[in-house]
Amino acid sequence: MSLKRWFSGIYILGLTVAVTVTLALSAWLFHGAERDQWLQYERRLAQVEANALADALSAAGPDEIGRILKAWQSSRPERQSAVVIAGMEMIGSAKSEDQAPRRLIRAEKPLYDLANQLRAARETNLSEGVVRKKLIVFDEQAKDAFVVTVPYLDKGEFAGVLQIRMRHVETDVSGTVSYAGAALWISIFLAAIVLAALLHARPEMPRDAPKIVALAAFLGLTLFYQSQRLETFAAADLESTRRVASAVADAAKQHDVKAVSPAIVSRWDTDQYQRPLGVIRTDGAVVGDARDKLFAERAKLLERSLWAVEALGLVLLLAYLLGYMRRLADTVRHHAAAYAYVAPAMVGMLVLVFFPFLYGITLAFTDTTLFNESLPFSERWVGLVNFFAILGDFNLFTRNADGVIWNYQNFYWTLMVTIVWTLTNVTVGVTLGFILALILNTDNLKGKAIYRVILILPWAIPNYITALVWRGMFHPQFGVINQILQLFGMQPVGWFDGVVSSFFTGLATNGWLSFPFMMVVILGALQSIPKDMYEAAEVEGATRWQRLRHITLPLLRPTLVPAIVLSVVWTFNMFNIIFLVSGGEPAGANEILITKAYKIAFENYQYAYAAAYSTVIFVILLVYGVFQTRVTKATESY
Amino acid sequence: MVRREPSHLWMHLALIAFVLVTIYPVLWVLALAFSGQQSVGIIDLPADPSFFERLRAILPFPEHFSVKNFTEVWTEQSFGRWMLNSAVVSLLTTGLGVFLACTAAYAFSRFRFPGRNQGMLLFLVSQMFPGTLMLIPLFIIIVKWLGLGNTYFGLVIVYATTAIPFCVWMMKGYFDTIPIDIEESAVIDGASRQTIFFRIILPLAKPAIAITALFSFMTAWNEFILASVFMEAEANYTAPVGLRFFVGGFSAQWGYFAAGSVLVSLPVVLLFLYLQKYLISGLTAGSVK
Repeated sequence: MSLKRWFSGIYILGLTVAVTVTLALSAWLFHGAERDQWLQYERRLAQVEANALADALSAAGPDEIGRILKAWQSSRPERQSAVVIAGMEMIGSAKSEDQAPRRLIRAEKPLYDLANQLRAARETNLSEGVVRKKLIVFDEQAKDAFVVTVPYLDKGEFAGVLQIRMRHVETDVSGTVSYAGAALWISIFLAAIVLAALLHARPEMPRDAPKIVALAAFLGLTLFYQSQRLETFAAADLESTRRVASAVADAAKQHDVKAVSPAIVSRWDTDQYQRPLGVIRTDGAVVGDARDKLFAERAKLLERSLWAVEALGLVLLLAYLLGYMRRLADTVRHHAAAYAYVAPAMVGMLVLVFFPFLYGITLAFTDTTLFNESLPFSERWVGLVNFFAILGDFNLFTRNADGVIWNYQNFYWTLMVTIVWTLTNVTVGVTLGFILALILNTDNLKGKAIYRVILILPWAIPNYITALVWRGMFHPQFGVINQILQLFGMQPVGWFDGVVSSFFTGLATNGWLSFPFMMVVILGALQSIPKDMYEAAEVEGATRWQRLRHITLPLLRPTLVPAIVLSVVWTFNMFNIIFLVSGGEPAGANEILITKAYKIAFENYQYAYAAAYSTVIFVILLVYGVFQTRVTKATESY
Repeated sequence: MVRREPSHLWMHLALIAFVLVTIYPVLWVLALAFSGQQSVGIIDLPADPSFFERLRAILPFPEHFSVKNFTEVWTEQSFGRWMLNSAVVSLLTTGLGVFLACTAAYAFSRFRFPGRNQGMLLFLVSQMFPGTLMLIPLFIIIVKWLGLGNTYFGLVIVYATTAIPFCVWMMKGYFDTIPIDIEESAVIDGASRQTIFFRIILPLAKPAIAITALFSFMTAWNEFILASVFMEAEANYTAPVGLRFFVGGFSAQWGYFAAGSVLVSLPVVLLFLYLQKYLISGLTAGSVK
C-alpha cells in the first residue's frame, strides 16, 4: 500500500484541518474574551475608585474636597488626577497647579457638557423610576488611562461631577497558559493517528472504524481544550473579583468609612448605572452565588460562540469523512486554471467589498456611534431596533390650519424624493440620449464628429466638478442662471429655498451630465442595426414611425435594458449631485436616501443608524434588481 | 437624396441648441478660471444693471484676461502636490484594476467552472451596495486594521476593487466576441494558457482594455468621499478633496476652484476624447448580438 493511500485512508488531513481550525478559532475567541474581561476588570476598579471617592467627598462636605482629592491622588502612583466640577466652576482638584476653585476655561467645555449630561441622566432616571441612562461615563478616546466621570452629590442632591484619571495597570490576572496541557493534546492526537492506522491496517476490522476514531479524537481534543481554557477563564474572573474586593477594602480604609456608615461599601462595585452588583459584601468578602450568576451571564456569549466553532469543525471533519472534500479538491484541481484567473479579483472583492458589506450589515444591528466604538460587539447589540425606528416611523406629515406640513426627516418622504429623482432623471437621460442618437445616426449629416465630441464632453468631466459648477451657476445672488432669467424680464429665483426649485437644480445638473452615456450607448446600438432591414421595410411601404416602432426599438432592447438598469442604480445612488449642488436644501427636503445616510453617519455620527439606513437602501435596490430581471429576462445579455 | 435636405436643417438647429447648452457650463468655468478674480459672477454688475450689462454678465468671457488664478493655485496653494497625489494613485489603480479585470473576465468568458454563474451574480449584486454602507467598514479595515490611512496604497486597493465589477462585465462582453477558434488553433500549435492569454487574447482586446483603463483611471481620479475619509493629512489630499475645499467653506474662492477644475479635468477629458473611438465598440460589444 502506498504511503499516500495509507494517509488518506486514516483521514489524517481531515483530522488535522478540522482540529487546527477549531482550536485556532477557539483560541481567538478566548483571546478576545480575555481581553474584554481584563478591560472590564480595569473599568470595574476605576468605577470602585470613583464611587468611593465621590461618597467620601459627599460625606465630608464641600470644604474638604481639595484635601481629600490630594490625599487620594498621592497615595497611589496609578492615580493620575481628579477634579470636581460644579456648573461653570472647578471646585476641587488633586493638582495644586489647577488652583481650584476657579471658573472653567474654554478648553474645559467638555467637562461642563459632561456635568450637564449626567445631571439630565440622573433626573431622567429619578423621574421615570426606571434606570435607563448611564450615570458613570468613560472617556472612550482616552489612551493609556481610564477617565471616569460620576455624579458628585452634596447632601443627597446633584451638585456636580467628579472625574478621575487612572493609568492602565500592567499586570494580567488571567495568568500564563499551561504548556503541560499542550503536550497532552499532541500526544492524544498522535495516539489517535496511530490507533486509526492500526485499525486501517487490519482488514478484519469494520471499514468505518478509522472514521469513528477520527471523530472521537476530534471531539476529545477540541472539547478538552475548550474546557481547560474555560476553567482558566473562570479562575481569572474569580481572581479579578477578589482583587476588586480588596480594592473596595483599601478604599474603605482610606476614606475611613466606619465614621460614616459601613454599609456604604456595598454601593461601590456597580454597573454603569450605579446599581450595585451585589457581589462584594460590606465586610469585603465575595458573595459566591452572585458572582457565579454574573459570570454565567458574561460567559454566555463566549460559550455559544464556542459551540458554533465546534459545530464548524465537526462539519469540516464530516466533509472529509464523507468524501465531499475529495470531490471539492477534484473540482478545484480540474478547473485549476479558471480559479487561478479568477482568484486575484475574487480575493480583492471578498476582502474589500463583500467583507465590509457584511460588516456594515452587522453594524446595523447595534447601537454603535462615534462614542462607543471601542465597546465589545455583545454590548452594542440591539437587534432590529434601528430598522423599527426607520421603517416604523409613519409620522410623515401633520395637518394644521395652513394645510399639510411634511416631515422631511421621515424615511418615506426621502424614499419618495429618491424614487421621483430616479424616474425623472432616467427619463430625461434616455429621452435626450435617444433623440440625439437618432439625429446623429442620420446618414450624410455634416459635422457629425464635431457634434459628437462636444456632446460627449459632460461625460468626460468629473461629476463632482460638474456639480460644483452648477451650484455656482445656480447661485441665487450672482449665479448666471438668475441673470439669464432677469435678461428675459423674469424675477430671480431663490433656487435652494423651495422644494421644487431645489429639486430642479439637481435634475438639470444630472440631466446635463448623464445624457451622453445614453446617447453613446444608443448610437452604438443603432449603428449595428443592418441598413438593409430599413430598406426592406421602406420597400414594403412602412412609414417612418412604423420603422422606428418595429425595427429600431426591438433591436435596441438588448442594449437599452442593461443600460437603463445600470442607470437606475447609478441615479438612485447619485451621491455627488445632491450632496454638492443643493445639499438637500431646504431643510433636508431634497435629500435622497444615500445622502441622508451619509449625513446620519458623518454629521450625527450615528454609525449604526446610518448602516441600517444603508441596508434598507440595499434591500430596495436588490428587490428592484430581482424584479427587473424577472420582468425583462435581461440576464441573457450579461 | 434631395428630399432629405430640409430635414437636415432642423437636425442641425436641434444639435446646435444642444451643443450650446452642453458647452455653456464649460465656457463658464473657463471664463472664471481666466478672470483672475474669485467671485462667482463673470463680471461685477452695478446695482441696477441695463439690458446690455446683463447680457454681458452671462457671456462666458472674462472682463480682464489673466492667468493669475492658475499661477496662484499652483504656487500659493498646495494644489500641485495634490495633483501629484491624484496622479500616482490613479496610475497605480489603473494598473492594478486592468490586471484584475482582465484575468477575471477571461476566466468568466472562456471557462465553465462551478461557481461561475454565482460569481457573476455576486459582481452584479455588489454594484448595488450603497457607498455609505461600505464607508465605515472600509475606514475600519484600511485605516484601523491595516494601518493604511494617509498612504497611496490604501486608496489604490480600494479604488481598484470597487472598479472591478464594471470592468469585468465590459471585458467579458468583449472577450465573448473574440472567436474561440483562434485559441483552439493556438492550443493545437502547442501554446500554453498563459501564452494564449498574454500573446493572443490581450492584444486582440486592446479597445476594451483601453476602456477599462480609462474607467479605472477615472474612478480614482474623480473620487473624493473615500479620499477625504482616508487622507487626513493636508499633504496627502488628492485633487478632488483639495478642490472641494476651495468652494466648501464660507469664503468661496471660485477663481481657484475654476482654475483647479480646468487642470484636473484637462487630462481626463483629453484621454476620454482620445479613447472615444474605442468607447462605442467597448461599451456595446457585449450587449448587441
